[in-house]
Amino acid sequence: MAEEGIDVLVVAGNPWRSDYLRFAADITPVEGHAFAFIDRERPARIIVESPAEAARLRSEQAELDVRWSLSAIEETETAIRELGKRRTAIAPLAAVPYRLAMGPLVTGIARATALLDHLMLRKSASEIEALHRAAVLADEGYAVFRKAARVGRPEYSLVAEVEAFFRSRGCPENFQILGSGGREVRGMHPPTERRLAPGDLVTTELTPCVDGYYAQICRTLVLGEPSEPQERAFAVYNEALEAGVAAVRPGATAGDVARAQNKVFRNHGLGDYVTSEYTRVRGHGLGLYVDARPAVLEDVDLKLEPDMTLIVHPNTYHPEVGYFVHGDSVRVTPDGCEVLTRTPRRLFSVPLA
Amino acid sequence: MRRGLISWARDEVPPSVLEGRVARLQEQMRNADLGAMLVYTSFARPSAVAWLTHFVPYWNEALLVVFPTGAPVLLAAFSKRVHDWIRSVSHLGEVRSAPDLGRAAAAFLKERPPQPSRIGVLELDALPWSVAEPLVKSEYGALVDATDLFAAIRQPADEVEIRLARRAATIAAQAFKTIPRGAKRASELLSVLERSARLDGAEEVLPRLAPDLRANATLRRFEGDALLGERYAVELSVAYKATWVRFTRCVSTQAVPSSWRSAAERFVETAERLNEANLSLGPQLGPGKPVAWTLETCRGSPPLSIVATGETPSPSALSGGSLACISLQLDLDDGAWLGGAPLILGSRGQPSCLLI
Repeated sequence: MAEEGIDVLVVAGNPWRSDYLRFAADITPVEGHAFAFIDRERPARIIVESPAEAARLRSEQAELDVRWSLSAIEETETAIRELGKRRTAIAPLAAVPYRLAMGPLVTGIARATALLDHLMLRKSASEIEALHRAAVLADEGYAVFRKAARVGRPEYSLVAEVEAFFRSRGCPENFQILGSGGREVRGMHPPTERRLAPGDLVTTELTPCVDGYYAQICRTLVLGEPSEPQERAFAVYNEALEAGVAAVRPGATAGDVARAQNKVFRNHGLGDYVTSEYTRVRGHGLGLYVDARPAVLEDVDLKLEPDMTLIVHPNTYHPEVGYFVHGDSVRVTPDGCEVLTRTPRRLFSVPLA
Repeated sequence: MRRGLISWARDEVPPSVLEGRVARLQEQMRNADLGAMLVYTSFARPSAVAWLTHFVPYWNEALLVVFPTGAPVLLAAFSKRVHDWIRSVSHLGEVRSAPDLGRAAAAFLKERPPQPSRIGVLELDALPWSVAEPLVKSEYGALVDATDLFAAIRQPADEVEIRLARRAATIAAQAFKTIPRGAKRASELLSVLERSARLDGAEEVLPRLAPDLRANATLRRFEGDALLGERYAVELSVAYKATWVRFTRCVSTQAVPSSWRSAAERFVETAERLNEANLSLGPQLGPGKPVAWTLETCRGSPPLSIVATGETPSPSALSGGSLACISLQLDLDDGAWLGGAPLILGSRGQPSCLLI
C-alpha cells in the first residue's frame, strides 16, 4: 500500500468472493456483504450486514473493530467519506458493489485489485503449510469418496459422506463436483439423484479448504473392472498429467503447462477434445479461491514463480468413454515443482459386490 | 460453494408455478415502465433467480434477463458444457454463455434493446462492479433500482414454497436427532449434522455452533475443532431446492434444565403471537431477558435477510403468510438460551404458525 500510495484499502467481499477479505483481514463472511478497512496506521475495521456476523467475527478476532448495519453498503460509503483526504482505494473488481464504485474511488479499482492479485499469487511459508494440509485432506477425502462409490447409491450420498469426513477433520468448506455414467457424460456437475450403475466411470474434483486455502485432486474410478477403452483412455490422461506436471517450473508460463498436456492429446489423435467445446481449462491456480489465477490455457503467458500453487488437470471428454478427470495440486519450487496430492495416479476400480 | 443435491422435480415445483411468478414480475415491470429486469445470482445470492426459474448456481455467476413478455433468458458465466445441466435443473427460455458477464449482458441488451429503455436491476446498489461497469458504460438504457418492485411480489409464500420449506425443516429436525448424546467435540457434532442433512437431500447446510454456552453464547463458524461444553447451542441453516430455513437448538449433555423447557414453551408462544401488525414489538419474552432477536425472510437475492431485530428500532413491513425465521437469545438465571425456528407469519390479528 505504501508503494502504491494508498493509506486505506477498502476490501469488499461476500461468501462467493471471500478470498480477498480472507487475505487482507483473515475473515470469511458466511452471509451478506462484508467490508474491511485496511489502514496503514490502525487495526482493521469491518462492516457487515447482520448482528450475528458481527458477533461471530468479534469472537474470532477480538482486536477487530466490527460494526454491522442492515445497509452495510451505505454504511461503508459513509465510512469512506469520513476518511476525508486520506488516499483511499477499493477492491476487488469482482466484489465491489455498484454503489461504492459509482463514487470517486472508481478509477482506482483495477489497480487496487491488481495489487491484491499480485500479493496473493506467490504463497508465504504459512500459506504453503495450509495448502500442504489441505492436500493431505484431499487425498483422505478421495479415499472416503472411493469407499462410498457403490452401485445403487445416488450421487449426492457420495458427497454427503465426503462432507461428513471433512467436518470430522474440522474442514467447513469444499468445492466438489462429480459425474457418473458412460459416453453420454460430458462434464461434471453438483451431485444429482442418479444412482451409480455397473461399468460407470465416476469422476470427481474434490477441493477441501484448510485455513482458507484450497487444494484439489481429480480422479476417475470405474465401478467394476475397467474396460479396455477405459484403460486406454486412462493411459492418455495419465501421460498428459505427467507432461503437465513436468512442465511446471519457474520461468515456464501457464500456457506452456497447457501445451504440454494438450500435445499428448494431439499425439493420440484427440486434439479436438482440448478445445473449449469439451473442456474449460487444463488447470488453474489454487489459494484462497478455488479457481484462482492463472488459468492454465495455451494463451496465458503469466510466468510461473516459486511458491505459486496450482492444479494441473487434463480433464476433458473422451469420445470412447465419456468425461474423464485426472489431476494433482502442485507447488512451484526453485527447480521444478512439488506434487502436493499423493493419491496414486491410477484408474481406480471399485468391486461390484 | 454448493455441493448438496441440486435437482428439479417437476411435480414438486411445477413449471406453471415458476411461470406464474415470472408473470407477476412482468406485470409489475409493465406497471413501472421497465423494458427489462436484471437479476444477478451467485451461490451467495441465489434466491431471486431460483424463485423465478429454479436455477441455483453451485459456483460462478449468472444474470437473469426478464423482458415484459416471454420466458427469462439466463446469461451464465459457466462453460457451455454446463448448459445441459443448467437446463435440466431450471425453467428458462434461453441459456447463453457469458464468461465475461457484464460485457455479455451489455451485448445482449444491444441485440435486444429493451422497450421502454429503462432497465430495472434487483439490488442495484449491490451489483458487482465487474458486472455493472460494462452496463453503466453501454448506451442501452438507464439502470434503475427495482428492489422494492421485486420485494412487492416475493412474499407471501405460495404453497409450493411452503412445502419446500417444510421439507427443509424436516431435514434439519432429523439432523438434530442424530446428535450423539455423548458428543465431545465440535467436529464430531458437525460431521453427523452434515451427513444426515445431505443424505436427506439438503442442497446446502450452514451450521454454526456455540460450543460452550457457559463460556460464550456466540454462534461461530468452525474451522478446526473445539471441545463441547456441558451445554452448547447449534444453529442449522438448511436449504432444500433453494428454500432456506434456520433452526437454533440448545443441547445439554445432562438432564435438560427446567429453565430451558420453560424458555422453549415461551419461545413457541411468542413466535405464534407474532403477526404482520406487531413486528415492531418483537418477541415479548419471559422468563429471562431477551438479549437479541431477529426475524428474517427472503424477499430478494439473499436466502435470508433481516426484517426486524431487537437492535434496530423499526422493522420493515412483512405481510401475513410470509415465510420467515425467528431467532432469539435469552439470558436466563442459569445462563444463555438460544432458540430459532421457521414460521409462516400471521396476518393482522392472526397467529403465526411454526413450520414444524
